Amino acid sequence: MKKIMSKIALLVVVLSILLSACARPTDEPIPPTKVPEVAPTDVPTKAPDAAPTDEATKAPETPPTDVPPTPAPTEIIPTDIELWAGGRVSEAGPPPDDWAAYQIIKDELKINLELVLLPSTQADQDTKINAAAAGNSLPDLFMVNRDTWFKLVEAGLVANVEELLPLMPVRTQTHYSDADRNKLVVYNGAMYGLPDPGAMPMTDSLVIRKDWLVKLGLESPKTLDDFLAVAKAFTFDDPDGNGTDDTYGFCAFIDGSGLIAAGVGPRFDFIYGAYGVAGTWNLTSKDAFGLNARDPNYMLATQFIKTLNDEKVIDPDWPTLKKDEFRARWKQGKCGMMHENFAALANKSNYKDFDANFPDGEWAVMDAPTGPDGKSAAGIVVKTARIYAVSQKAMDEGKGPAIARLLEWMANDEGYFLLGFGVEGVNYVLDANGYISTEGLEDAAKWTSKEAQPLTQLANMVYIFSDIELKARYVAYQTTNGRTMDPLAYYSAFGEQPFTESTGAAVINPPANAADFIRFYSENIVQFVLGQKPLDETTWAEFIAGLDSLGAKELEADALETLLATGFVK
Amino acid sequence: MVAITKTRTAPTLIVRGQQKLSKLTRTIIKYRWLYFLMLPGLIYFILFRYLPLWNAQIAFKDFKPLLGVWGSPFAGFKHFLTFFNSYYFSQLITNTLFFSLMKLVLGLPVAVILALSLYESMFRFLRKLVQTISYMPHFLSWVIMFGILLAMLSPGEGLINEIIKAAGGKSISFLTSPAWFRVVIIGSDIWKETGWGTIIYLASLMSIDPTLFEAAAVDGASRLQRIWHISLPGILSTIVVVTLLRLGNVLDAGFQQLFVLYSLPVYSVGDILDTWVYRQGILEFQFSLATAVGLFKGVIGLTLVVFANRLAKRLARTGLY
Repeated sequence: MKKIMSKIALLVVVLSILLSACARPTDEPIPPTKVPEVAPTDVPTKAPDAAPTDEATKAPETPPTDVPPTPAPTEIIPTDIELWAGGRVSEAGPPPDDWAAYQIIKDELKINLELVLLPSTQADQDTKINAAAAGNSLPDLFMVNRDTWFKLVEAGLVANVEELLPLMPVRTQTHYSDADRNKLVVYNGAMYGLPDPGAMPMTDSLVIRKDWLVKLGLESPKTLDDFLAVAKAFTFDDPDGNGTDDTYGFCAFIDGSGLIAAGVGPRFDFIYGAYGVAGTWNLTSKDAFGLNARDPNYMLATQFIKTLNDEKVIDPDWPTLKKDEFRARWKQGKCGMMHENFAALANKSNYKDFDANFPDGEWAVMDAPTGPDGKSAAGIVVKTARIYAVSQKAMDEGKGPAIARLLEWMANDEGYFLLGFGVEGVNYVLDANGYISTEGLEDAAKWTSKEAQPLTQLANMVYIFSDIELKARYVAYQTTNGRTMDPLAYYSAFGEQPFTESTGAAVINPPANAADFIRFYSENIVQFVLGQKPLDETTWAEFIAGLDSLGAKELEADALETLLATGFVK
Repeated sequence: MVAITKTRTAPTLIVRGQQKLSKLTRTIIKYRWLYFLMLPGLIYFILFRYLPLWNAQIAFKDFKPLLGVWGSPFAGFKHFLTFFNSYYFSQLITNTLFFSLMKLVLGLPVAVILALSLYESMFRFLRKLVQTISYMPHFLSWVIMFGILLAMLSPGEGLINEIIKAAGGKSISFLTSPAWFRVVIIGSDIWKETGWGTIIYLASLMSIDPTLFEAAAVDGASRLQRIWHISLPGILSTIVVVTLLRLGNVLDAGFQQLFVLYSLPVYSVGDILDTWVYRQGILEFQFSLATAVGLFKGVIGLTLVVFANRLAKRLARTGLY
């Protein structure tokens, strides 16, 4: 009997394992299991009357009069929508099951929304999306980078979305009315993607330790020669006064991926800018168009970076550092100058470690240094987009109108505030001027708190960089020693720097051998800088010949054709 | 006469078949629980190892997800040729074979020596302690290992470089120097996996009849002689099997490790087949190319296993099958 019982038990265990292994995830979307504590009616249905009127970045209010009227409502069919979105905060989780938005979307829009947050890095996002695409199982609506989007469109997996635009007049006005941005998603003359506003332009520029300058009696550098001199002083003259040789004049890392950020990446673009060749491409005119690497000044700029490396004034770990490790360095007080994002530098949550370590430390905005011909650029400007694509499968299944309904709701007051800032009165309040505030709210409930981060994970689908958003997201505060730290002041100062316009580079489609081409380009530049290869006119010519053997001329010809067609180059 | 023969032969065959079938059935019934236990593993291999082989045909097609695996247009050996003619083909193959073989050639003896040392250790506590410490790195991901290696090898403030500088030397860019990068890769792999690799050899050592050691000790054999004449021959078949299995994956040089540790300055010595496939095949949405490379790796691995198995049978009188 005991033997039989043990056999039955074994059978049950094995069957359970088999069933669990073979089980498929349920197709049902994530329904909210609980009605939110704050009834949906508490969510503001109208933008604040006194909303600031920044023309370029107007908050979503009543649709403008020139917007075509929304088509007459027809019977709404309940629809399941699977959305793969980029979360606002990569380290925070997805919204909870009882998220207020799920219920509203279900009740008002008749949509069962299944939300999946994409991985934070672009390569991981591409891997996930490409794997789904290979199985023809792309989600209904998904965020995708431009290069991957292009390949999916070519494969016929992404739908033409032009028929959706009339179904969402408000969102079309607020999100899809930028002609340049729209060009990023045009394929064969039609829109195959929805280009939400991407990262803000001109957010990254040079900053310098003002307290170190004062201590060493130096001026902020104006030219590249000054830059080198100050970098040497910051490295070897003990600017922090701790008696140890533990500081670097300049900190950086190889940032970004793809051809647009090839070489040593955008953290060094200000040096190329000083030689008039910032960015991978020269987009100034049809005749001048081509790889900047063909310009002799590109070699000179690379030589200057090599000088920084040879003089040991740059953090020696720069070729291997990842973004987080780079940021740890300046928070540990090792860096004198760097090219950094204003929010990563100055937002309270990012600045607090540096402030705790160095209460008297101060980062000042530094002018982009000029080169031998007096040129300068703090970096390149690429008007990016967060592209949302609709899978052809979803369109074939008739989900287009439901997707448009969802996106339109996000652009209206209710969706905008709920997804962008949470529930009014719970996660945020509106002050007398109509700005977002967290005064009087519980710390854990504030939309800016770590605990509330999952509630605004879809904020990037609604943000349009309005004045309301900027003031809400980048709040001024007092540092430990009583200074006022205002992230927007940094942003504003960065915006006054010269930048090289390169938006057109975003529409250049990658070559078939992109991995080899980009590797060859970037690897050679880094080898030149590190001294692994001699850097002179002969070796540079060999480098250019190598690019040509990998199809650089064909790439340039194709790129020029695209740029002329889109009007980025004339 | 012929008819008689026919009538006598047919039933005999049927009876023999029935006997054979019933014998097989009886064996299955007799060991039914063992077969039942084997079932999940069998299903796993069918589902995840054999059925996916159907999809390997996309290596010979221009795979279009909308058309499916069968419906995609035939492309012959186009993707294989793309791979063979790619700019870095020879470098990729060289790097892959170098890492794979060096990990095998240098890693295997270290694991065997550690296993023998642990087995011969008279101090039980020390043995357990060393075992635990040596197993631990296996459970760390390569992302964590990168952090540890950076803290140790950074030219700025890495522990090793601090020691070098304190001794009057110049700091070394271990992670960005092509000359040192290979050493770091092989060394860190041995450090991470040696402890875990000893398990199979320890188990093999445990299975050696202890009376052999006792008899050898009585005959006056020294400890080294016992290791040389009993322990090593006792685990030789395990060493051969492990080596053969590793040869089957000779073109797998450790994607995760290289992917985390390599950077632009060391691509020339660090880029391997799998990292290239990731960049060119997966990220560039060229799944046919990625599959072609995978198939190429599989064929090379299979060929090596077959030849190595024959060689092992001839030289060591043991093999995989």
